Amino acid sequence: MSDKPELTVSVVTPDGEVYENKTTLAICKTAEGELGIMPNHTPVLASLAIDEVRVKTGEDQYDEIAIGGGFLEFSNNVLSIVASAAERKENIDTSRAERARDRAKERIEKAQNEHDVKELKRAEISLKRALNRIKISGH
Amino acid sequence: MAGSLQSVKRRINSTKKTQQITNAMQMVSTVKLNQIQRHTASYQVYAAKIRSVITHLAKSHLLDSISVSSSSKKSDDPMSSLGMLQQRPVKKVGIVVITSDRGLVGSYNSTVLKQTMTLIDNVSKADNKKDDIVILAIGSTGADFFKQRGFNIGYEYQGVNDVPKFKEVRPIVQAIVTMFTSGAFDKLYVCYNHFVNTLTSEFRAEQMLPITAENVGDLENDGLEEAKEGQIAPAYDAEPSQNAILEVVLPQYAESLVYGAILDAKTSEHASSSTAMKSASDNADDIISTLQLQYNRARQSAITTEITEITGAQAALE
Repeated sequence: MSDKPELTVSVVTPDGEVYENKTTLAICKTAEGELGIMPNHTPVLASLAIDEVRVKTGEDQYDEIAIGGGFLEFSNNVLSIVASAAERKENIDTSRAERARDRAKERIEKAQNEHDVKELKRAEISLKRALNRIKISGH
Repeated sequence: MAGSLQSVKRRINSTKKTQQITNAMQMVSTVKLNQIQRHTASYQVYAAKIRSVITHLAKSHLLDSISVSSSSKKSDDPMSSLGMLQQRPVKKVGIVVITSDRGLVGSYNSTVLKQTMTLIDNVSKADNKKDDIVILAIGSTGADFFKQRGFNIGYEYQGVNDVPKFKEVRPIVQAIVTMFTSGAFDKLYVCYNHFVNTLTSEFRAEQMLPITAENVGDLENDGLEEAKEGQIAPAYDAEPSQNAILEVVLPQYAESLVYGAILDAKTSEHASSSTAMKSASDNADDIISTLQLQYNRARQSAITTEITEITGAQAALE
């Protein structure tokens, strides 16, 4: 592993760095589909979907991080994932995520009744985030 | 004489107790200041990343082209981040005023409020300036102040945590951005105290919305300096397109700006609270030493009187 080229992954959120590691492969979900980044990839900017980022740590072993939307920037073998919220799989509080899901569902229902388009969109995004966290923690 | 002795003693005691309280409050503020500074350091990493990406996009002159196209077609989707670039004729000005919820922070609040009033005078020359201004108050002191003066309060938020987390601030930011895109105001200033160091803070009013090529241009200069220090900024591939990335980055940028301002304001609040409490403790020290002197004098004179009485009595007996 040591003589292979490596890239550094760092996940930053407004509340600080959530994750930092060296790896040979990071797989991110962008709005268009999966994007695998290996060392010496050309510099890239991409928007991220509300999904997970997987960072290879060994044979068939991945660190999984839930991303609540954001973008990635890769240059000079440093992959920066700039997200408004991110949690490592181990740190996800499932019961909290479930509460967030229920809350989001209520908000969607309310917004639908009141025909509040903005609120509906926002609630849908919250729901997506919550479901994403639940999904990843359940792997 | 004994009565004054007692009362001086009582005053010394009460001052000492007050001093204990201000001492404790000073320590609490200092701890909070340290906490928030640590938190700000980790936030800076995030802000720097966003800034470098925005700078890059600004360099490719994407912002200019979009701001032109969006203002001509008047984007109808209020959730579209490109609305943040929309420059409209300025009829109403939104002013976010960040103040503290509690007192005992020295001149912190009065500085912000005074300077904000000056800004309001500059922004709108009209006589009915109260109609042109929408105040968005974060912190109760500012809200009360502007309410009393009959300003139009568009948004009010109280009880920001001592070390605010992004999650907490996010609804505030979203509310503000929605108000902008829906046309409640056409220009947004954020007024707060910028933390310089523990002893000084400085008032800042920043125009945050709409995001214009000029205010990104300021960043560009900073970014260029950074780039000179480090490597040359690489030419990025954009996935799926630069526009799509802008859609994601701009809201994050706006959020991070407001969050940064709130963090900065809170830092300066803790700093000035700590300084105010320190000077209160120092004043208490002064008062105590004056009172102690007074007490000693009073006691000495009491003793002297007593001795005179005793010697007088003895002389009378002989």
